Amino acid sequence: MRLLPGPLRRKNGDNGKADGNGNDDQPKSDIPGALLVSRERDEAVINGRNGQDAKEQKALQRERLKEAATEVPATVVGWVDERTGMGPFARGFMFRKVPKGTNWFYTLGSASMFAFLSQAVTGVFLAMYYRPSADEAYTSIQHINNEVFAGELVRGMHRWGATVMVVLVFLHMGRTFFFGAYKYPRELNWIIGVVLVLLTLMMALTGYLLPFDQRSFWATVVAVNINASGPVIGPYLADFLRGGAEFGATTISRFYALHMLLVPGLIAALIGAHLYLVAKLGTTAPPWLKAEKKRELAKEEI
Amino acid sequence: MPGAFEGETVTRRGLMTGGALAAGGIASAAFGLPALGFALGPIFNNDEINDKWQDVGAESDFNERTYVAKVATLVTNVGEPGKTTVYIRKAAPEDRSPSDKPGKPIMPYVAISTRCAHLGCPVRYVQASEKFICPCHGGVYGKDGSVDGGPPVRPLDRFYTKAENGRVFVGKRFSVNSKLERFPHPRDPSNHLDGLWQYIYPGRPST
Amino acid sequence: MNGREKEQYLREYHVMKGQGKPFFPYAVAKDSFMAVFVLLVIILMAVLFGAELGPKADPTTTTYTPRPEWYFFFLFELLRVVKPPEFVFAATIGIPTLCLILLLLLPFIDRNPERHPLRRPIATLTGIAVIVAMAYLTVEGALAGAPTEIELKTAPGLEAGRSVAASSGCLGCHRIGDNGNAGPGPELTEIGDRLRAPAIRRTLLNPTAPMPSYRGLSQKNPEQFSELVQYLSSLR
Repeated sequence: MRLLPGPLRRKNGDNGKADGNGNDDQPKSDIPGALLVSRERDEAVINGRNGQDAKEQKALQRERLKEAATEVPATVVGWVDERTGMGPFARGFMFRKVPKGTNWFYTLGSASMFAFLSQAVTGVFLAMYYRPSADEAYTSIQHINNEVFAGELVRGMHRWGATVMVVLVFLHMGRTFFFGAYKYPRELNWIIGVVLVLLTLMMALTGYLLPFDQRSFWATVVAVNINASGPVIGPYLADFLRGGAEFGATTISRFYALHMLLVPGLIAALIGAHLYLVAKLGTTAPPWLKAEKKRELAKEEI
Repeated sequence: MPGAFEGETVTRRGLMTGGALAAGGIASAAFGLPALGFALGPIFNNDEINDKWQDVGAESDFNERTYVAKVATLVTNVGEPGKTTVYIRKAAPEDRSPSDKPGKPIMPYVAISTRCAHLGCPVRYVQASEKFICPCHGGVYGKDGSVDGGPPVRPLDRFYTKAENGRVFVGKRFSVNSKLERFPHPRDPSNHLDGLWQYIYPGRPST
Repeated sequence: MNGREKEQYLREYHVMKGQGKPFFPYAVAKDSFMAVFVLLVIILMAVLFGAELGPKADPTTTTYTPRPEWYFFFLFELLRVVKPPEFVFAATIGIPTLCLILLLLLPFIDRNPERHPLRRPIATLTGIAVIVAMAYLTVEGALAGAPTEIELKTAPGLEAGRSVAASSGCLGCHRIGDNGNAGPGPELTEIGDRLRAPAIRRTLLNPTAPMPSYRGLSQKNPEQFSELVQYLSSLR
């Protein structure tokens, strides 16, 4: 039985029959194509039989239809593959080897990305009800909490998802640090990762203002003033974030635009680059395994 | 140059390359600069700051011994979030600032802002000890707003005041340094103002 | 790492990779289970803790105690302990920016080809030290009480004195239990052991600068003043 459609099948052909287009192989007939009306008739002519049992014929027909149906996904993928050439790329990504000893620590990275996706999805749904203005923000959040179906759950998921994402990102960073996975040739990946940590904290900061309750407001005032403490350019940076010298009408809109558009866009782009490098360079083997390997090699060399 | 004719100074390729870069640059600037200006605009205008005199009460509401809290508007057109609390006390002769010209009268009332000069948390006046206390990081200010302890870097900001027809009016906010000299362009919290610091944290067009 | 070490690493890595398993389905299965687990945790937290919404933002407040979200507590605590005003911008911008630059440039600072944690003691110890420091600051930040409440357990008869102490600004300069600032005044959690009530009364009336005198309170409201003295002398 074929589990995987044609182009993603492994090249050593253990699934046998496929050619690039996913067609089944057919017995070659020496009757010209124009005269072939149905396969049964064709077979009947070839086999020289005329009156096959009607039930058997129907059963055969069903068989053929079923086989044709299982071919459809393979045909569709084959159609796309022929026009995009993504087969080798997808094969390379899905079936690359991960080094011996890859354990559960290595799932932290994709778990962080999953938390980000959860935030993105819950964020989109929250954005459908949120109103980013100084007088309406709070009431729109109350509306989400009280009146919207599953509003409190989605908002809770978004809020606690932020905590979970920060925790996972820091755990992933710690894992990478202690496994020495930032060394050659993965230095660029580490740098992209640190920028991603920074962007994650920025998301937390900008998103925190949006409910516009007391805690949000004052935490943001302090955060913006922290920026203002930098010499010379600090106050201008604070002006840029606030949209003026004081917390004003445009501050929430600015933070909303940063939180919804700019920073998630940057995060998505950098996650793409990060994943590309991970697939290209491979994940490291756990460092303690290398030690045993060395001893074995040494033994062999003696 | 490779591919050049006799006496040719710019090859066709060179012209095309330069033209592509120039046109690309102009196109990017055409949508980028207005957008950037849009984002950076608020840094250069101060329309939002309320600069009108506001009536905060009758002269009989205030006294020389203690501060009375009143609400004033800091930012126009934003409603509730634009307001702030101001602590007002009738001025005594000791409240003369080095910035007051000798012989001229001092401001009739001392109006102190509740914005902590460390990082902007709301300070509160404690009657029993006559101090302003910040709940965030432990800043403590004395009765005239100067720093008694903790991380704040300069005394609390003040507001211009005047008295007319028995009513007290509060104007724009200004900053003071530890000598209580006035700086008409208020600085952000955490900006020092003593000595050379005032050049590291200069006044901005947005204030 | 010089060229030889790089080559050696790549060769060893090639061998380790060859001995591994395909990403799909082995690693993908682990990743998927982890993803389900993460989702369950998020939903569980959302259901158990809910999404609270405090009172509406009010810039005119004089009673609110601002606090950041828990993952910024370490920065918050750093800002609380750095008292001298000259060092404020070092705590707000200096130290975090420095740490960020060190973190970004880590692969260029640490060029040791060794990856096993026990064979790169400097890196491992530094990492553990940073984590412990951040955890300590986070916990301290979480415990930092507001300077207008005293959270120590109090006998019912002393409740009045406790509320006078909490609202008189003592916590602006003194620590009582988990609340208040660690300076410029000494800690008062056990002041009753060191000073008897008459000594406390004398200090309140005639303190050493910069402590303000509470003579005003003793004249305006003698009952509150003696409740305050009684409470302070009970702190042992």
